[in-house]
Amino acid sequence: MTPPRPFAFLAIVFTVVYTVAYAVAVSQNYALFTYHPVPGTIGMGVEKVQDGPAMYWYGWMATAAIAAFGACLVACVVPERLAKRVGSGWSWIVPLGVLLFFAYLLRGYFLR
Amino acid sequence: MFTALLIVHGLFAVALLGAITHQTASVWLPARKPAGSFAGRFRAVTAASYTNAIIALYVCTALLGAIIYPEFRVSIRGVLEELDVPAAMGAFELKEHFSVVGLAALPAYWYFWRQPLSEEHRRTRRALTAILAFITWWNFLVGHVVNNFRGYGG
Repeated sequence: MTPPRPFAFLAIVFTVVYTVAYAVAVSQNYALFTYHPVPGTIGMGVEKVQDGPAMYWYGWMATAAIAAFGACLVACVVPERLAKRVGSGWSWIVPLGVLLFFAYLLRGYFLR
Repeated sequence: MFTALLIVHGLFAVALLGAITHQTASVWLPARKPAGSFAGRFRAVTAASYTNAIIALYVCTALLGAIIYPEFRVSIRGVLEELDVPAAMGAFELKEHFSVVGLAALPAYWYFWRQPLSEEHRRTRRALTAILAFITWWNFLVGHVVNNFRGYGG
């Protein structure tokens, strides 16, 4: 199966926007929903702890997914001559940067 | 049920670890001549043939991890807090975030590994493969060690 050439652009946009949006969602706690594993309930947005811990991880992923799919929709109408200018290197430079960002964000666990 | 899913999660992770390590070795340390030794044959695989398997294994491993994650959050995390091992908690937090970054990179990884391989994107392929290999190794080791704090079936 050979994907169309613009798929490269969409793949790069998805990877870049998803990873950046996820990093922002985690650092600012923009969770689309909160899961409470003990009662097994889900609440929209960021909710405080109820019985047991509150889990935002799924909500952060959902927030990033909305941002990434939205960006891909916009990317679909970007002229091909502009899309071709975007280097494939962004698809690994940005994720690598986000990995380092998380290492920095969570440094407190390792520096106590 | 949790223990069964954890074992399946671990088995998928082992298979993923083998596949991604093979591919990483073959793109970063390609065999220059017909391989005779074990290490040489390890590096001499056709890297592109691993791509779809790696994607499928990564998605399955991440999905199973997401399913069993609440159990970790409720029971194992408490043990770590009682034992006062912040480095272990931090390592696991990194694992959850790294796994999401790896998932997000899969579309690009798939595209740049599709046949016929483009020489233009060789560096991108190598970098994406290395990033996925790092994430896989980190997640495997951290998941294994952190679960040992609780003990099997504990």
